[in-house]
Parts: sequence; C-alpha cells; structure tokens
Amino acid sequence: MKLQESSFRSGLRSGTTLALILMFLVLIGFNASGAALLARLFGQTTLSGQLPPAIFGIVFIALLAVGQGISSALASRRRNAARPWVSSFAAAGLAGLALAVFILVMGSLYQNGADFRKTLYALSPAYIKFLTVDQMPIVGAAISLAVMLLAGGLAGLAAIYLPFGTYWQRVKTMFVRFWNLDGSRSLRANRYFKFGLYAVLVLMCFFVPRVWGSYWNYVFGLVGIYVLLGLGLNIIVGLSGQLVLGYVAFFAIGAYSVALLNAPIPHNLMWGFWAAVVIGILLAALSGFLIGLPLMRLRGDYLAIVTMGFGEIIRVLLKSDLLTSFTGGPRGVQDIRGPSLFGQSFSSDIDFMYLIILAVALALFIASRLQNSRVGRSWIAIREDETVAQASGVNTTRYKLLALALGAAFAGLGGVLFAARNQFTGPEDHVLMVSINVLSLVIVGGMGSVPGVVLGAFALKGLPEILRELANYRLLAFGALLVIMMIARPQGLWPVGRPSLQRKEAPDSPTENDKPNQEAPNG
Amino acid sequence: MTALSSVSFKTPQLVARIIRSVIGIIVVVWAAMRIYNVLFVNQAYGLDTWVRFGITGLIIGGMYALIAIGYTLVYGILGMINFAHGEVMMIGTFGGYFVLEALAAIPAPTLANPDLNFLNAQPLLSILLAFLAGTLAASLMGYLLEKIAYRPLRNAPRLAPLISAIGASIFLQNAVQLLFSPQLRDYTNPDALARGTGWSIEIAGSQVLVTYTGVLSFVLSILLMVGLYVLVQKTRIGRAMRAVAQDKKTAALMGVDVDAVISQTFIISGALAGAAGVMWGIHNGLVYYFLGFIPGIKAFTAAVLGGIGNIPGAMLGGLVLGLVESIGPAALGIDFQLKDVIAFLILVLVLIFRPSGLLGAASVEEKL
Amino acid sequence: MNKRFFVFVALILVMVIASCSPSAGSNPSGAGAAPAECASDAFGCAKIAPGQTIKIGMGAPMTGGDASFGIDISQGGRIAVTDAGELEGFKFELIAEDDSGTAEGGAAVANKLVADPTVVAIAGHIFSGATAAAIPIYEKVGLPMLSPSATNPPLAEMGSKVFNRIAFTDAIQGKFAGTYLYEKLGIRKLAVMHDGSDYGKGLAEIVRDTFTSLGGEVVSFSAITSKESDYTAPLAAVAATQPEALYFGGYTQDGAILANNMKQTGLENAIFFGCDGTYGQDFLDRTGANGNGAYAVSLTPADTDSKVKFDAAYEAAFGVKPGTLSPYTWNGYDVVAALIAQVKAVAIKGSDGNLYIPRGALVNAVRNLKDYQGLTGVFTCDAKGECNASGPLLVTIQDGKWVVAE
Repeated sequence: MKLQESSFRSGLRSGTTLALILMFLVLIGFNASGAALLARLFGQTTLSGQLPPAIFGIVFIALLAVGQGISSALASRRRNAARPWVSSFAAAGLAGLALAVFILVMGSLYQNGADFRKTLYALSPAYIKFLTVDQMPIVGAAISLAVMLLAGGLAGLAAIYLPFGTYWQRVKTMFVRFWNLDGSRSLRANRYFKFGLYAVLVLMCFFVPRVWGSYWNYVFGLVGIYVLLGLGLNIIVGLSGQLVLGYVAFFAIGAYSVALLNAPIPHNLMWGFWAAVVIGILLAALSGFLIGLPLMRLRGDYLAIVTMGFGEIIRVLLKSDLLTSFTGGPRGVQDIRGPSLFGQSFSSDIDFMYLIILAVALALFIASRLQNSRVGRSWIAIREDETVAQASGVNTTRYKLLALALGAAFAGLGGVLFAARNQFTGPEDHVLMVSINVLSLVIVGGMGSVPGVVLGAFALKGLPEILRELANYRLLAFGALLVIMMIARPQGLWPVGRPSLQRKEAPDSPTENDKPNQEAPNG
Repeated sequence: MTALSSVSFKTPQLVARIIRSVIGIIVVVWAAMRIYNVLFVNQAYGLDTWVRFGITGLIIGGMYALIAIGYTLVYGILGMINFAHGEVMMIGTFGGYFVLEALAAIPAPTLANPDLNFLNAQPLLSILLAFLAGTLAASLMGYLLEKIAYRPLRNAPRLAPLISAIGASIFLQNAVQLLFSPQLRDYTNPDALARGTGWSIEIAGSQVLVTYTGVLSFVLSILLMVGLYVLVQKTRIGRAMRAVAQDKKTAALMGVDVDAVISQTFIISGALAGAAGVMWGIHNGLVYYFLGFIPGIKAFTAAVLGGIGNIPGAMLGGLVLGLVESIGPAALGIDFQLKDVIAFLILVLVLIFRPSGLLGAASVEEKL
Repeated sequence: MNKRFFVFVALILVMVIASCSPSAGSNPSGAGAAPAECASDAFGCAKIAPGQTIKIGMGAPMTGGDASFGIDISQGGRIAVTDAGELEGFKFELIAEDDSGTAEGGAAVANKLVADPTVVAIAGHIFSGATAAAIPIYEKVGLPMLSPSATNPPLAEMGSKVFNRIAFTDAIQGKFAGTYLYEKLGIRKLAVMHDGSDYGKGLAEIVRDTFTSLGGEVVSFSAITSKESDYTAPLAAVAATQPEALYFGGYTQDGAILANNMKQTGLENAIFFGCDGTYGQDFLDRTGANGNGAYAVSLTPADTDSKVKFDAAYEAAFGVKPGTLSPYTWNGYDVVAALIAQVKAVAIKGSDGNLYIPRGALVNAVRNLKDYQGLTGVFTCDAKGECNASGPLLVTIQDGKWVVAE
C-alpha cells in the first residue's frame, strides 16, 4: 500500500513538471505548430498562417502524455514501486487536468468576447477554438483530459507489461555482436576497406554538391565555414586554453579584406579573390598576434572579456562614421567579386561548395597534425597548468601567441569565404553572436577535439536550419537543445581522449582525471 | 613557427612590460591631449553639460552595478559566467511591468477625482509592489535557472555551464518573445513619478534636470548594495556563501549545505537583477524581450573591470563604466557612437596594468 | 575508426539522403501541356498543380532583437493573402522565413525559397543586409522581389533585374526634410543625429547636405548606439551646441527616447524632426506630452477606405493595432498585394488543369508596375526598381495626434 502511494506521488510530481511545460507550450501557441507538423506527417499540409485541424492538436497532447507515461512508469519501476503504471496515470492525469482547466476558463472567457492578445500574444480566438476541439469549452476540456489520462496511462501500462525493453536490448546486443564479429573487425582493420571508405567520401564530396540543390549547398557551406572557424578557435580555446570571446574580430578582418579588395565601392581595387585570401589570412594572423602581445598576462575570464571588447570595438568601428569612407560604414560592401579560375568565373554555389570542402579538408589536416605535434603538446601543457608548463621549459608566451595567430588565420580564411560567397558583408555580419556560436560549437563538440568541431558545427549551424520547420519556435528549441546537450554530454559530443603517445611512454604516470579544465573557482 | 622564432623571447616578461608601458604612455598622452583640447581649447561644454553627463552616468552606473553584483556573486561561488543574467533582469522588468499595468487598471475613485486608479492613488505602495513582483520573478527565474541548467553541470568541465547559460539565455529571450509578443511596451509609471519630471537645479546659468526616477534608481541601488554588503559580511547566509566561495569541500565538511547556499546565491543575485530591471523600466520606460542583452553584457564588463568575484569591485566597476560611457566620449571629443569603443579600451587598459581588475586579488602570476 | 565515426558517417549519409530527394531539379519548364509562353520565357514557368498553393516568399527577421519588424510585416502580408482570394481555384500562401535580418540569414532563406518551385515572387527582404545577400540568388532563377523596407540606396544601383522596393528612397525624403526645416520652419542651426544604421545614416547625411547647401548651419552631426534606453548623455552634448531643431534618422524605438530625453537635457525648445521610421501610434504613446510639436514623415496617407478596412482586419486577426509592432505594417500589406496582383495578371491556366506562371514575364510585370494604388501610396516602378512615386507626406503632432503639416 505504501509503495503504491509513493508511485502515485512521484507521478504527481512529474505530472506537475509536465503540466508546467504543457502550459508554457499552450501559451506560446506551440500546440498549433506541433499539430501542423504532425498533420504533415499524415500528408495534410497546413497553409502557413492558418491552424491545422483540431484533431491533430489532440494527437499532439496525446503524444506528450505517452512520453510522460512511459518515462514515469519506467522511473517508478526502477524504484521498485508496486504498481508503476499508477504514476503514469497520475502524471498524465494531472497535466491533463491543468490543460482542461485552462481550456475551460479560456474557452468560456473567449466565448464572452474576451481577448488576451495584448498580453499573451498567441491566444487568438481561433487558437482557443482549436484548443477546445471546435466544441463547447466544457466538452473540449473533457476530451483533452480524457485523451491525456488514457494515452499516458495506457502508455505506462504498455511500457511495463509489453516487452519493448527486451526488444531494445536485443537490437543492442545484435549491433554489439556484429561490431565484435571477427569478420567485421578485420574488415574495419583492412586498409583497402579504409581506402574504399575514403574514396567514397571523396566521391561524395565531388558529386553531392551537384545533386542536392543550392539550399543544401548553402547550409552545408555555412557549416563548412563554421568548421573552419571552430578549428581555429579550437586551437586557441581547446588546445592552448585561452578563453577568447572576440573571435569574430578575426572573421571580420578576413571578410573585409576580400570585400574592400574586390568590390567596386568603396575602393574599386579588384585585386582578385586569391590575393584577398592570402591577405585576409595574413592580416587576421597578424592582428591575432598583435592583440595577444599586451594580453599575455591575462587569464581565463579576463581574457574573455577583453577579447569580447576587441570584437565589439572592431564592429563599432566598421560601422562608425569615422571609417565610413574606408569600410562602407553601416551599409556594408556590396557586389563583392567571387573567385575566378583560369579566367573562368568560379563562383556558383557548387564551386563555392568545392572551395569550402577543399579549405575544410586542408584545415582538418593542418589542425590534426598540429594537435599531435610538439607544438600541440606544448599547448596542452599550457592549458593544463601554465605555471608548470613554464617551469618545465615551455615558452608559454611564444606558444600562446602562436595559438592566437594560427587560430586567427583560420578565422580570416573563414571570413574571406563567407563574404565572397554572400557577395556582401556588413557590420551586422560580425556581431557578438558569431563569437558565441563558434565558442559554443567548440565546447558542444568537445574541447580540443577535431572531429568534435565538425560535429559541433553541424549541431550549431546545421540544427537551426533543420529546425526551420518549427518557424518562429526554432531559436527557442535551439536554446533548449543547447542546454540539454550540455547536460547530457558535459564533455562534449565527441570528447578528446588523452594523447595515446603519453600513455605508451609513461605507463606508470599517475592518471589524472579526464576533465582538464576543471579549475577551482577563485573566490 | 618560423616567423616567431626570429623574435627573441629570452626575456618575455621584460619585453611584455616594455610593450605595456609603451602602450600605456601613448594612450595616456593621447587622451590627455584630447581632454585638454576639449576642456581648454574648444571649451565645447559648459559646467552644466558636465553635470548632466555625470548624473546620467551615475544613474546608469548604479543599475550596471546591481546587475554586475549578480555576475560576481555567481562567479565567486561557482566560477562560471552566468550568461543568462541579463535575461533574469529582463524577467524582473516584466514582473514589475505587469503589476503596474494591473494596478493602473484597478479603479480607486475619490470624490475629487473619479478617474483615479490605484496606481496614482497609492503611488508609493504601487512602486513597492512592482519592485516586489520584479524581484520575486527574477529570483524565481534565477533559482530555476540554477536548478535546471547549471546544477547538473556542477562537476562538468569549466566551460560547459557557460554554454548551458548561453542556451538558457537564447531560450528565455525567445520564450518571452513568444509569450508576450515582440512588441515594445511602455512602462506605466504613477504620475507622481512620471519620467522626465524632477528637480531643476541651476548650474552655470542653465537649468539641469534631476529626474525623480533617476534619483529613486540611484538611491535604491546604493541602498541595495549596502544591504547586500551587510548580508554577505554580517549574516549567517553571508558567512556560508563566503565559505563556499573559498572552498566547497571544506565548507561542506564544516556543515554548510553547499547546494542550498548556491541556490541562495542565485536567488539573491536574481533579486538584485530584478530590482535593477524594475528601475530600468521605471527610469527608461521600455520593456521588451531583448531588453536584457545589452545591460547584461555591460554589467559583465563592469564586473570584470572591478575584479570578478569581488563585490565592492562590481559596484565600483558598474559606476566607473556608467561614468565612462557618459563622460568619456565627450571628454575625448569623440562621437557618442563610439562610446563602447572607449569603454572597452578603458577596460583593456585597466586589465593590462591590473590583470585582475580594479579591486581584484593579485593573480597567481603576479605573485611569482 | 571507432564506433562513433561510423555513427557520424551514418548520420551524415542520412542527412544527405534526406536533403537530396525533394529539391532535385527545380523549374521543369515547357514540358507537355505547358502553354507556349513558358517555352519562350527566359526563366521558364512555375507550375502549380491542383491542390498546391501559389507561394509568395518573404525573408524577414522573426527572431532576435528586430523580430517585431518581421512578425509585423508578415502579418500585414497575411491580410493581403486573405484579401486576394483565389485565382482559378488556386489559393495564395505567404511563406515567411526567418532571416534574422543578417546577410547570412538572407542568403539561407533565399536559397531555401529558390528550392521550392511553387514560390513565384518574394515580398522582401526587410533589412538591407539580408536583401543584399539575397538579390544575386533570386537573380539567377528570376524571382521578382518587392521590398517593403530595404532603403539602402546602392541596392537599386546594382543593376538587378529582380529587385524592386516601395520604401521611400532616402534621397527624396531627406531633401524634402532639409528644405522644409530651412524654408518652412525657418531653422538656421540644426543638429543632425542618426542611429548608426544604413537607413538612419543615409537620411541624416542627405538632410545635412541639403540643409548646408541652402545656407543653414549644421551645428552637430552625431550618431548614437541604437537600442539603448537612455540618450541623455549624447543629447547633452548636442544641447551644448544650441540647435533650434534636432533631425533624427532612425526608428521609433530610439526616436521616442530621444524626444523624451530632449526635455531633460536643455533641448526643451528645440524641435524634434523625425523620418518615416519614427512615425506611428507608438511614437505618440511613448512620448506623450513630450511629443507635441514633433515632426515625422508619414508612410500612410490619410485614412482611405481601404486603409480603414485593413486596420480593422488586422486588429481582428492579430489583436493589436497595425503600426504598434513596426511602422511598416501597411507596406507589408502593399508588397504582398501588389505581387499577387501581378501574378494574377501573368498566370496562365494550362489545358492540363495546372496553373503556369511565366517567371520572366512576372519579373517584367513587377518592374513595370504602374499606378498601382496601395495603402501607402501609388506605386510606379522606374527602371531601377524604385517604386514609390508618391511624395513624402509631412506630419506633426498636435494635441497628441498626428496631423498633416502645412
């Protein structure tokens, strides 16, 4: 008896959370968008700006209840509660009740002509009608409550009594078994197989941009540019441990190099794209070096804020009246000429995709070589403990400056490609959010990890494009996903292992924890 | 690599010091010349204008300081930058806004004035309620933020909570936009506290207005700062907070409930941000979902300027930043468009010579 | 070569496959039952099959600090879609995509819209940066654009065939304002301020040049950092130069604060002179008594019947008055309505039941827009795509209301 009660209570607790989330979703009008997405799965398109059939709203809340029902039931079973499904009913029922009360109150108010849109923007009369399933408020409320209670409870029952868990286990074991099979293992070790894989990859790089249309070329080109940026910042933050929040400054320097050298206004220099690439990279690297010089004493968050300031200074200056004649001011620079190759224009979306793939491949190669070199190990030493690194003979100033300059060079290349591809750049391209995005992708991917950067770039720049289906909710979902990703994988999606070289050489050395940058906060 | 090898780094400390000194001297000489020019050659502004700059700077500096304390408290205890702090402030502004709107909708007719509403009948009480609502909303937000987005990352790598905070910040901005529409709304003040009214003081032959809302904000922020200082230095909670900031493990061994203290810290920093948010609304008059972004960045800058983790430092940093922003461009004879450039340049200069901020403790390297 | 790598490759493959299928081969032109116009058209035809909608694309900031512009303009456009009804049984649809107002977003949205073969015209983009990056992409496939608000002058100078706009050009408005200040108001000492955006700055520069050329003195030309909440410091600096009026190029968000702060900083007697960005109900609400005597340039002529009808429809549909979210609500309606009208003019119902819209013809039709009566004026596009031919209307605040200034 007592156990059952605790199951009920835990159900109520998780039900409260679900009820709050559900209320939030209802208030921002997400129910309609979610329903529209579901409707599309069933082949029914909803015109933009209109609401889908109300039945899909019911399906939407039923799905939420199912999710909650399964998770509460499983959680209760883990605690060995007597009837775990009770918690499913309790949780889904409570959330359903909250929704029902909301529908009842709002439905009645709206029937009497109330309108809360001045405050709660999403609550249009049509949306309220959608929530009440086009019925009387009391009927709509009852339907919602019943659907949630039943869907959640039954899902809980199903999760407990149907052997889904064992199916999942079986699939897992099958995969592991295949993975460990001698055949598949030797296949993976086979160098021809490896070459084959690489060949497929190269062929894909060649053919895919021709096939999948300009939109995906654009999106993946953007991801590629952010891979470049991420690789650069990874050297600065991930390897040498300097937190830089003004990375966009170097990006801007690259972008404006190509813009000012290759646009008719303001200077009409027309030096050509390839010269701009070289100049952009060199200028960015030089500025990284120069910025670094006076700031080598700063650590951690002080460096972060100073570099952030540097980024903002560059943006404000680019935009200011002071430099308008030189940079084009807030208007930016239009009509930037793209690259040409052997006298032929080389600036279609496909050509740019090739260019970006080439740049990314080159950058990946350089970055991974650097990481495993003597320089890379010196950086890691500095990151782990600067004082100790200095004491053991690493010239910290020199290596930190080198990291800054190299990282900046990557950003310069990224900026050149970015501006040339858009044929436009302006101060609004170089806002703080760019730095934040790049830093996020490095950390989401896993600090110091080259493949992590690639994954992170997909997550940070690919995800918002994929989330376009969610229309106005996409950044909301993106923010939430960023939090969830960090909580689920605080080390990053693909954390870096310790360099294998060290392990081989010094098997007896005391193992440190795998969280390199966990410093004690200084109060 | 090769390019760098040619540069001699045998005495990096010395080289760095020379570079620092040269930069410092150049900047100081340049600034002095500009200021001399503005003050004595052009004589662009009279005393009244300087007083106006000062008043503006102090008012906005007080708000920066309150928000900066939130950054500093959290940093002191968790060692993380609470990037969503600006959004916490924005939530506080909205809390106050809705209370004031509601009170303005309640009629409180008197014989003399049948159209009177509660807001104007009881302005003091209304403002108090607004501050209460704002601080409550922001504290709750701070508490939830810590519980949902940061607590699971307590033992994660140092930068993981930062990204979580950035995600939370994006989430909160968009959530508020979707809930309340992207509309810019006006803060409803009681008539007695209407924006743009105040005491007129005659300085150098012209009237300088000191607004009621400005004075209210400044006095309140000073009071709150003093209150916070007492709280941290004299009370049990404050002692526990300082203990946790020093050493979490030892504090736990001494019987301090570390999780509770961290929650309290977020609640306190949220309350201060909420109060600053309501002041922001009452004094500046606008509330919308993106409101917290700029003050958040500025206050973060202020916290670092003063020495992050150091509470008096945050107060000083906030006031200095506010004054620099309002006086700096004028004193140097530069367009106000470039005030952020000046603010950040001053920050860089301060940090070049004092790497731990104005009042920060000496860093490890300095001790070496 | 570990497990993660395989998962990663699999993930990418799935994404590739997922993204490949729909967009391949757009613009199938001149096939089968398509009318003859399609074969001769430079860009072929958009084919709308029964059940599909005729899509008007829009790139607008729907998230971030400028979301109110995008949301408002797209809402105005939705009313136009409702008003447009059907064409030969085909419905219209407005696809408003979020471009965040940046070049990056503008190019992404443009590429996305281009990939959808049923998108026939673009109402947008909203901000100049996004527009600049989007123009070359639409140019390639022949999607006509009609922007409600991208005012940056060089956009029309790039020689684009597809770009048109109904926004006021800075030149006309700025000259008008400068002349009015000098001649009608008799101002001799003017302070000019802008918000640092391309729009505000462009206006401010033209006003400054016009005013100086007439013989007036511009005592101060300065900029503020946009989207702050308190401008007393820059205004105090302006006040020290003792101008008789302050011209401001920018939007209401900053303009209203400036008008308020002027009364606190020794500019009590100077006239606040704004632009079309500072016109609207919002400015009145936010400035209150401080706004009296301020000038602005109106986008919306006096309350015509169609405007009253639109205002009612907008408020019924979205719960707020038009003009509260941005000053461009009516422009949003106008661009979508004008584009739909042109689509109706060129569309051909095929014998196979499909609707064909020759893209090249539509591009020309939009560029040749003539005497189109919109809510915000009469539109006639010139050779560069500047379509707003109606002169600026100067308004001033009297007793808390905008009235037409003499």
